[in-house]
Amino acid sequence: MSADAPLLEVKDLVQEFTVRDSSGAHKLTVHAVSGVSFVLEAGEALGIVGETGSGKSTLARAILQAPRPKSGDVLLRGQNLGALRGRTLAEARRNIQMVFQDPYGSLDPTWRVSQIVEEPLVAFRVGDREQRRRRVAEVLELAGLDPARHARRRPRELSGGQAQRVAIARALALDPALIICDEAVSSLDVLIRAQVLNLFERLRSELKLSYLFIAHDLSLVKHVSDRVAVMYLGKLCEIGPASALYERPQHPYTVALLASIPSPDPRAAPTQLEATVHGEPASPIDPPSGCRFRTRCPRAQERCAAEEPQLRMLGPDQYAACHFPVSEPAPAQAAQ
Amino acid sequence: MSGESAAPAAARRAAAAPGAASATELLAVENLRVDFHSGGRHVRAVDGLNYAVRRGQTVAMIGESGCGKTVSSRALMGLLPRTARVTGSIRFEGRELVGLAEKRLRAFRGAEISMVFQDPTRSLNPTMRVGDQIVEAVRAHSQIPRASARQRALDLMRLVRLPAAAERFEQYPHQLSGGMRQRVMIAIAISGEPKLLIADEATTALDVTTQAQIMELLKDLQRRLGMTLIMISHDLGLAATFADEVLVMYAGRAVERAPTRKLFEQVRMPYTKALIDSIPRLDDPPHMELNVVPGQAPNLAALPPGCPFAPRCPRASEECREREPPFSEQEPDHAWACWHPYGPKDDLR
Amino acid sequence: MAAQPSSGGVAGAIALPLSEQSVAPGGRLRRTLKISIPAGMLLVIFFLCFLGPYIFAVPAPTYTNILDANEGLFSAHHLLGTDQVGYDILSRIFYGGRASLEVALAVNGIGMVVGGLFGMLAGYIGGLRDAVMMRLIDVLIAFPGIVLAIAIAERLGPSEFHVILALTVFSVPAFARLSRAATLRVREETFIVAARLSGTRRHRVLLRHILPNILPQLITFNLLGMGIVVVLEGALSFLNLGIPSPQPSWGNMIANGQTVLTAEPRLVIVPSIALFVTVLSLNLLGDGLREHWSSR
Repeated sequence: MSADAPLLEVKDLVQEFTVRDSSGAHKLTVHAVSGVSFVLEAGEALGIVGETGSGKSTLARAILQAPRPKSGDVLLRGQNLGALRGRTLAEARRNIQMVFQDPYGSLDPTWRVSQIVEEPLVAFRVGDREQRRRRVAEVLELAGLDPARHARRRPRELSGGQAQRVAIARALALDPALIICDEAVSSLDVLIRAQVLNLFERLRSELKLSYLFIAHDLSLVKHVSDRVAVMYLGKLCEIGPASALYERPQHPYTVALLASIPSPDPRAAPTQLEATVHGEPASPIDPPSGCRFRTRCPRAQERCAAEEPQLRMLGPDQYAACHFPVSEPAPAQAAQ
Repeated sequence: MSGESAAPAAARRAAAAPGAASATELLAVENLRVDFHSGGRHVRAVDGLNYAVRRGQTVAMIGESGCGKTVSSRALMGLLPRTARVTGSIRFEGRELVGLAEKRLRAFRGAEISMVFQDPTRSLNPTMRVGDQIVEAVRAHSQIPRASARQRALDLMRLVRLPAAAERFEQYPHQLSGGMRQRVMIAIAISGEPKLLIADEATTALDVTTQAQIMELLKDLQRRLGMTLIMISHDLGLAATFADEVLVMYAGRAVERAPTRKLFEQVRMPYTKALIDSIPRLDDPPHMELNVVPGQAPNLAALPPGCPFAPRCPRASEECREREPPFSEQEPDHAWACWHPYGPKDDLR
Repeated sequence: MAAQPSSGGVAGAIALPLSEQSVAPGGRLRRTLKISIPAGMLLVIFFLCFLGPYIFAVPAPTYTNILDANEGLFSAHHLLGTDQVGYDILSRIFYGGRASLEVALAVNGIGMVVGGLFGMLAGYIGGLRDAVMMRLIDVLIAFPGIVLAIAIAERLGPSEFHVILALTVFSVPAFARLSRAATLRVREETFIVAARLSGTRRHRVLLRHILPNILPQLITFNLLGMGIVVVLEGALSFLNLGIPSPQPSWGNMIANGQTVLTAEPRLVIVPSIALFVTVLSLNLLGDGLREHWSSR
């Protein structure tokens, strides 16, 4: 454990699954994550955006070693999580907590709120009963819930927003360094979503937390992230500082994602989506050769099929994996 | 695109049905109330809804869960469970739908009013080929022989931009992606050439890029087929981009209605403003705090007196908590229900 | 963990409004009645069978006085009359019920505890060990049921204990299968993942998370199973492989009564009614509880 190592370092992470095809006869490999690398510094918030099949949730689980990735390294404060087993892994992992998408699904319906929030403390034998009770009250308040009113309730007696706050309180109990939010606001109503996003922001600055904020929509990670990464079919397309990515996207897929967000400004001209992306998302079972986005990319060339693009720097701290990024002149003719 | 005869369809629409309240008004909802009585619990899901839709318009009904938008659209189609009691008036081309017998309503469904739902996975039969499901829908509305129905189904598939229609025809729903399944649903929905298409959260379960593609498709179909579109959503941004007029609902009632641009530029009702504020904008600086309202959605079974939004409203007064504001048109083409609306002099930031 | 499903996209962001959620027809009062009425019936039945003999002055079930034979209903000392040998029917109904209910409770109790735990463990552990465990269960299920029960009873000789043994061969695999299926479902829930990520050890996850969430299903199955076991015991006793004479059970009462069915139908009808009411109450209670738990 070195003091100036980044909080989280992910190197060439690969995760695959085997599934059976629709006839049940053959085994197929789902290439969920195919070589993702990034670094997260302490106190930083990284947004990871991708649509279905991008592998973003699988990436989160792989980082937590649940299940372990097929290959690649995950270093938490310099310590390789892949090399740890059993209780040592659990000890190292207590610094990373997760908030899930389904606010009710992540809470045991037969447990009460206080028990749910206390569970991590019990598992790691933190303090005595009284100290744990105080900590539970503390994190419930941090999450915006009144312990007196909610501690004895069961999940079904809570609203969606309240249930998610309980999940957040539980994640805070062990005072982690990093919280992974896996689509944590996607299932909430818009007004509640805004409340919870604000809560994440406030906790980030008050408690100096780091986040991996996973979402399917670029607009959702905007407010919480310092840097944003875009994933497509198991690969990182682009990663860079939030404002730069939104103002000067480099990768065509990032452009497409930005164009797909319906703008709440009715004066804005409706975007010509066909110009940014066409067709259906490809399957992670049989990803296209070379650049995986080429089948939908309006700028694709022969080179894109033959050679897989690597991440290269295209702006200050901004990287994109593309042979023909948007900032460079458009290729002569799309090879479709 | 081949096959689709848009011209005769549009011509049919131009000749309004006899007895219509107005040649341009397709749908008129007046004082719609939907009550659910179930096991001693009484919930008023829709409370006095008033709105009208003109031919060719796109109207967005916006609200969060429990606001009554889905229930009111199901009432339109007569798709509510038996525990529901519907009162008020729904006039489609002048004909009253409330209280109509199921047999008569069936004549409307699919042929005049059609609906696309949120989750195509649950609306499509997993054991039937998608082509056959479209054929079934086609033959439900016209007695044409199987061969012609198959051709029409293929035409519909091309119309909804399903690539490789002939191949997809033979496939099962699980072999298609979410976006493709939704296109199949749309093909089924328009097979009867309906005058009114209701898209109930039709794109909520889809990826962003797919969502944008489907919305563009719906608008395109609307133009070609002369359909009127009601889109139900929780996403104001979607309404801003695609709708002509927006109706905002809260706790079963309408709280603001205006043409889209006017709604955004001159929002009056604080709930609408809260919705607008809660949309994270791409040009906001990072780590900006969103303008939020506290509290959560009201419990429809136990609504406090007065305005249902009062407990959360930053502008609520005693009057708001005692008397419910009426929903009325207070500026040309702009209606709202509020005692203390934002005015032109208020700083809307 | 499973990969993202490749269909559809982000799961539905909007919960169904309250009015659209399915509510069991009826409502709270009706649901409570669906539970309390059969529960009350069962309480009465248990009370009568176990405490009845002390309240109603009845002779011992095996006491017989040939002079009293063949008394009809509502006769002087015998409320339900006597049978052809002189046994008091009411007394035999009480004691017979006691035997039947003891068998049912024991069989299902053992089934739920042993089978339930076995299946839960197999379902949670998964993999090869799960497969091996379930194949052992399959061996038990593969035997044709009633034949096995008959074989056991014949080999060991008729007695209440042997009946319980024979029928446990049924109930343990049945509970194991159910418990495993329920466990597999609960295991995929997000809160299990969350519990593991919170650092909770596997045995605690099993006991504090999995078990409470599969218990409603096990209990419902238990109640429905009790009805089945009572009937099975009746069948075994009918074949004279169950509770041996002169000890009464509802099953062997029916068996003995059928020889004089035309002359004295009462001897068959009375225990049959007792059997019917008990099994019906058990089933109704099981149904009512299932409805109650699944509507939460």
